[in-house]
Amino acid sequence: MFEKSDEQLIEKALKGHKKAWFSLLKRYEKPVYHYGLRMTGNNADALDLLQDVFISVFRNLSNYRGDGSFKGWLFRIAHYRCIEFYRRKRPMQGLDDAPEIPCDTAPADQRIESTQRNAQLVSAMQQLPLAQKSVIELKFFGHFTFEEIAEQTGMSVNTAKSRLYSALSRMKILMEVDYVEL
Amino acid sequence: MSNYDNAELLALWLEDKLTPKQRDEFEQRCIKDSQFAEQVDTAAMVKVGADVYSSSEVPQWNKAATFEPQQARNSWSWLSGVSFVTSALAIVLVLTGTQVTTSEGELRIRFGSGQSEQALVKLVDSKLDAFKQNQQDAFTLYAQTLQQQQLESASQLTNYLLSSSRKERREDFAELIKFVNQQRSDDQLFYARQLNQLQQDVYHDATGVALESIQQ
Repeated sequence: MFEKSDEQLIEKALKGHKKAWFSLLKRYEKPVYHYGLRMTGNNADALDLLQDVFISVFRNLSNYRGDGSFKGWLFRIAHYRCIEFYRRKRPMQGLDDAPEIPCDTAPADQRIESTQRNAQLVSAMQQLPLAQKSVIELKFFGHFTFEEIAEQTGMSVNTAKSRLYSALSRMKILMEVDYVEL
Repeated sequence: MSNYDNAELLALWLEDKLTPKQRDEFEQRCIKDSQFAEQVDTAAMVKVGADVYSSSEVPQWNKAATFEPQQARNSWSWLSGVSFVTSALAIVLVLTGTQVTTSEGELRIRFGSGQSEQALVKLVDSKLDAFKQNQQDAFTLYAQTLQQQQLESASQLTNYLLSSSRKERREDFAELIKFVNQQRSDDQLFYARQLNQLQQDVYHDATGVALESIQQ
């Protein structure tokens, strides 16, 4: 009822209030963790990415001007940390390249496979190039507008739209395949 | 003819921003373009999948690690300021050519480009020579001017004396002539009176003789 706003928690966290920072963390850890889970395809990497993102967020917290929503700013950092994560893990793979190995640990993870639909969706996403996967993730799971996606990923609005369209073409095929396999 | 491409139309539909006209076009395209219709179906399927995606709880992870690095950074954050100030100071010292020397327990800080002692002495000597030469020239000029001035003064004094003595003499002579003339005038008067007296005496004498002769 009297929940503090993101800005209030940020202000306190900047002054060194650990409790305020943990409150902010609690508010956003779940979406960021599941973002990581869908983007990386496995729990361990998702947890690594989660920690990486929040360390980066805390270090740059003083740079947050409150111009846009904190969630948008947070996911912009998450996007760039995710790209870095991919570069570290697969240095030879481009953002628009389809993964060589569709999925590191096939979504056999218990957490992802809580439902059959989750598994099918996440499995298909894992086979998309990172650039397309990011747009699917931010649009359908993050519920961001195309303008916000463009801002977060550093691409134009039209590019975001055409990437989503291309991603859906591929998702259609992949989900059909997954459905047949299942 | 359509003004929107498939990606644009799908994007508007996803964000529920279709105008009535665009909605008509969207529906027409779904009917006529089976590939577009499949794209819309996939988008709807992904959307539903995302909406019903069951988010499991986040496993335990090291949350404290996200906070402590900042604390550590805070405790050393003054270092960046100190390093900036030190760098700025170093640049200033280099630009001003500051030299710090210690000799016999004495600390000397010198600003400006460092010159050797001999060069400094030479510089001072040359400056002193120049100063001396200037002074000499000025003194010579002053002496010449003074001499010229004295000559002019002496000449003026001589002329004045000569002219004044001539005038005095002329005045003296005038006085003398006046005095002589006055003396002459007095003498003439005196002689006139004497003659007159003599005349009277002569007259009286003549009258007496006549009377005596008569009486006799």
